[in-house]
Amino acid sequence: MTKILTGGVGKVEVTQAIGGLGIDSLDVVPSSDMDAAMKLRVGQADYYLGTCHTGAGASLGVLVGLLGSASCHTFGRSVPTEEAVTALLAEGKKAFGFSMDQIDVIAPLMARAIAARG
Amino acid sequence: MSTTLAAGAELDFSLAQQLTVIALCALTAFIAHMALAIFNDGVRPFLLDFIQGRTTRSATTAVSFGLSAGFIFGLGAPMALSTGVLNPWLLFLPTDILGMLSPKKWLAPVLGGAWGAVVVFGLNGANNIAHDLPVDFLTAMQQMSTPILFLFTLFPVLAITKQFGRKWGGIAGVLELALVVMTMKLWPTMFAGALAMAVGVLMLIGLAVSKDLRQRRADRAAGVVEEVGGDDPMASLFSASATRLRKYLPLFMLLGAGVCVLAQMHVFGGGEATSFLIAKGQYAEAAQVDFYRVFGFIPLIATTALASGAYGIAGFTLVYPIGYLMPNPFLAAVVGALVFAVEVLALSWIGKVLGKLPSVRDSSEHLRSAIGDTLQLAILFGSLMAANAMGGGLGILVVGGLYLLNEAMGRPVVRMAAAPAAVIVGGIVLNILYWLDLFTPIKG
Repeated sequence: MTKILTGGVGKVEVTQAIGGLGIDSLDVVPSSDMDAAMKLRVGQADYYLGTCHTGAGASLGVLVGLLGSASCHTFGRSVPTEEAVTALLAEGKKAFGFSMDQIDVIAPLMARAIAARG
Repeated sequence: MSTTLAAGAELDFSLAQQLTVIALCALTAFIAHMALAIFNDGVRPFLLDFIQGRTTRSATTAVSFGLSAGFIFGLGAPMALSTGVLNPWLLFLPTDILGMLSPKKWLAPVLGGAWGAVVVFGLNGANNIAHDLPVDFLTAMQQMSTPILFLFTLFPVLAITKQFGRKWGGIAGVLELALVVMTMKLWPTMFAGALAMAVGVLMLIGLAVSKDLRQRRADRAAGVVEEVGGDDPMASLFSASATRLRKYLPLFMLLGAGVCVLAQMHVFGGGEATSFLIAKGQYAEAAQVDFYRVFGFIPLIATTALASGAYGIAGFTLVYPIGYLMPNPFLAAVVGALVFAVEVLALSWIGKVLGKLPSVRDSSEHLRSAIGDTLQLAILFGSLMAANAMGGGLGILVVGGLYLLNEAMGRPVVRMAAAPAAVIVGGIVLNILYWLDLFTPIKG
């Protein structure tokens, strides 16, 4: 079971978008950046997906400071390809930020890529 | 047309206003150069590595540019062109970038000031041209204020529904509607949503605080020990940041004074929708909208500032509504400086309080999301009303069509600004059609 925490302005929408995919191996829970930072540090959660208007600030916020920028990645307002996401996951990125108005595309993309890693 | 020209003339920038904008842009670029404050909330977390010397100025500039460019051209510029009023995305995102870009300390204010000059002179020219056109889209844009004000009134209801479910949302909705009707009947001169918004926001905060208090009591009863460790990485990061910011208190007070004076001059709208209200001269309403918006941003700005060591150019944005209401620039400067001083000094305390109130932090995210939802609909609807005022069915076809096209293309223009941008383009198209003798402007 892979645990994904969501945060930021669109956390409800991201949780719904991923929950609606019906991928059994994923457990998606709405959270917040501070809470997620603590849980990711101690291994109580695996990934964090944050959203805000810019795709970085509210979403990653405290996480960049506490996990280090090496574990964080922001797509800003752009939409990544599936290969790009898979490559980032392979690099060990755990916290991702993206823009609210791209939730419907990026949330399922991230979920599938994370599920594919098992 | 005579009335519309008069309305346009008011938006001409006076010399004092031009100099204020230029000076403020020079200051914000300097502050961004020092990595003391940055407008883009998204870039702020990345400043930590820069401040601690783990990354270079050029790499940070690249991050800043990457995260800001879309909002300068996709939000700031169309908002300014469609209202004739300045906004923070147009002024402060570029000074974030220019300040960070400058290799030397003295170059930052020079570049920032130059950007300020480009904006005031450019916008002045664009305003004058727009008002002289046979199809005047700036005046048509004033249609925007009714949908913005009335839909914005509902944002606490949406936030309550998202956070506390349908039942509380329903109660809040009925209560707000009753208050709007009551206000219209009893105090017809007051903005109808004023009371409803205040009650809605208080209800949301009340629900969140009581949930947190209940949770803490339950935790304590269950014997959960609150984590208070001297080696808490979050606490040490936060206190280092607060100490860094406090060292530059006088500079922040100057910044607060500058932003507050800019807002006082009524040529600047701080929030996404406020520009439309400022353009129409509805300052008290603009102040209410931006005041409630503050609740959505305090936790975001406080936590990003504490986590990075860089503050926000507009602080908690509380200086916007205060500025709109100030009677003169001198008072605005004094009050703005004091507000910033209090904000910076209280930052550490705010961070601690927020750490104990997760539901309140949660509320702020729901608030921002709800504000976005209401404004999105309001701005889309208002833009179509503006299109209708400019060119009837043809106007709606062009503006609505451009909006849908932007959606279909994956939103190169931010959704919030897409419809106003479409109004500008639609206005230009209608003017061209007029010159080609293919379109007769609607009387107005």
